[in-house]
Amino acid sequence: MTETRRALLLATPLVLAQLAFFLAPLLILAATSFATDERLRAFSIEAWSEFAGDPFNLHALFDTMKLGAAVVIVTACLALPLALLHLVSGPHLRRLILIAAVLPLLTSVVVRSFAWIAILGRDGVLAQASVALGFSSTPVVLLQTEPGLILALTQIEMPLMLLPLLSTLGKLDPALLDASAVLGASLARTLRCVVLPAAMPGLLAGATLVFASSSTAFISQSIIGGSRLVYLPSLLWQQAMVIFNWPQAAAIALTLMLSVMLVVTALNMAGRRLHG
Amino acid sequence: MTLGRRALLACSLAAPTLLARRADAAGSVTAAIYPGPWEEAYRAIVAPALKADAGIDVAFEPLFAVDEIAKVRAARGNPPFDVMVLDPGPRASGIDFELYEPFDGTKLKNSSKVPAGLIDKYGAAVAAQVVGIAYNPKKVAKPAGWKDLFKPEFVTHLGLTGLQTTFGTMCIIENAKAFGGSDTNIEPAFAEIKKVLPQVAAVASPAALPGLFQQGQIDIMYINTQTVTTLKSRGVDVEFVVPDSGASAFVTTMHIAKGSQHVAEAYAYIDTVLATPIQDKLAAKPYYLTPVNKEVDPGSDVPMKSVEEIGKFITYDWQKINVQRAKWIDRFNKEVAK
Repeated sequence: MTETRRALLLATPLVLAQLAFFLAPLLILAATSFATDERLRAFSIEAWSEFAGDPFNLHALFDTMKLGAAVVIVTACLALPLALLHLVSGPHLRRLILIAAVLPLLTSVVVRSFAWIAILGRDGVLAQASVALGFSSTPVVLLQTEPGLILALTQIEMPLMLLPLLSTLGKLDPALLDASAVLGASLARTLRCVVLPAAMPGLLAGATLVFASSSTAFISQSIIGGSRLVYLPSLLWQQAMVIFNWPQAAAIALTLMLSVMLVVTALNMAGRRLHG
Repeated sequence: MTLGRRALLACSLAAPTLLARRADAAGSVTAAIYPGPWEEAYRAIVAPALKADAGIDVAFEPLFAVDEIAKVRAARGNPPFDVMVLDPGPRASGIDFELYEPFDGTKLKNSSKVPAGLIDKYGAAVAAQVVGIAYNPKKVAKPAGWKDLFKPEFVTHLGLTGLQTTFGTMCIIENAKAFGGSDTNIEPAFAEIKKVLPQVAAVASPAALPGLFQQGQIDIMYINTQTVTTLKSRGVDVEFVVPDSGASAFVTTMHIAKGSQHVAEAYAYIDTVLATPIQDKLAAKPYYLTPVNKEVDPGSDVPMKSVEEIGKFITYDWQKINVQRAKWIDRFNKEVAK
């Protein structure tokens, strides 16, 4: 009991800081979404009904969640083989993989996003390569398209998937893979019954991070996606900073936060069930 | 113990106030400034001049106009900076929200060097901007006017932007006028945009346009002369065209934020900005901020000999436009969304 009390005491500064700097503003945000005057004196559900009543907004919400999910799936599919390679390789290759995994985190997201313009654009690497290699008679331009945005976000968010995965798979004893093979399991079965269960906590943690980060990635969405792909973060920015309709902006902010939280909670629950 | 607990407490409480007083005595002002060329120019030219002339230190806070309005509004009378720099759209919002101290032009020594009408009870103009069409002469022919943007030979090179910014709004209005619309009716522009949308090279945020142009993703866009000159100075193939219906112009203004504790210093800062040698340097390479001081030459890329010609350009009533802007932005989102 005293142990718990001491732990609580140690946690107090963070708890107080969270209350003052996170929970209180969040409550103000919630109040703003219902406010009909500047000083938060009169309230109505106007902003919410306006938001929910417009199919365009609901479509943007759906697209935002879809974008997050797509980036999670692609990063997971690419990160898993890399994490397996990390598991079975020697110290030099391991270090190389780790550096390659962390490297994108060390450059600014603005620089990374602009670099993708040069790759995906009209005279970009991809457009020229697609013609030169004979894949297509016309240049493939992915700039300002959803596949292009998913591709760029995959690279940008990859460390968030790869790092938790490396850390959980690192705990897997490589001898287990041999044991599985000796007992007659095929490679596919070993992956399904040995590797995947061991990787699951890392995959779920990575999925949580990648989903939350890519569905709210305002800069990448606007630079690479352009104005024709409409996601909630850009609508939020317009309402808050251009139109100054704060109740509407607050409603969008809360919708975005709650939707992301819902998905993240679902992922965590799935993870807990898998671990009994 | 000679120093009691109370005395210590009193000292520690008094210290920040004493320090703050010292900063005041030396004279200081905090000014919001646009990020990019504006910030670089003001740090390099205005700050040292203000220190030398009036002994006042200026701290800059790089912010876009809309962010300034949002911050001053959220601060409710206790603004995080003393001087705001704004384009006409946000300026009109600031008037509606009552965000400015009353402005007295007679307190500026340099007020006579600025054309009448550019200093009013809300603030003072510090730079002009001329807006028209920019194109890459190596990739496309010279467009004559707004209607050309939507022709097949241009539209596949066109970069479109919405109504989030002052220049974006002005250009959509001009597009609308070219097809029979007006300052308050931009439906014709939406109709034209809708027709050509699948062929348009890019629909992007206003801040992304110059980058897309530089990278060759678009070869024709609507923009201000300052951006054209800046791109040109970096070796980009770009030329400015005054559309056949005329170029639009507006002034960027400075205002003293309501509740500012450094009003006198704020006037001194704005006065320094308007001085002839300062306006001269701000207009020169590499900043190219179009001057509002009558004695300063705007440079060869700006289609006016002096700011006194600004009356000949197309201007707008922003209070009327702002009423409709939310609706227009929403409409643009929906029209261009895939």
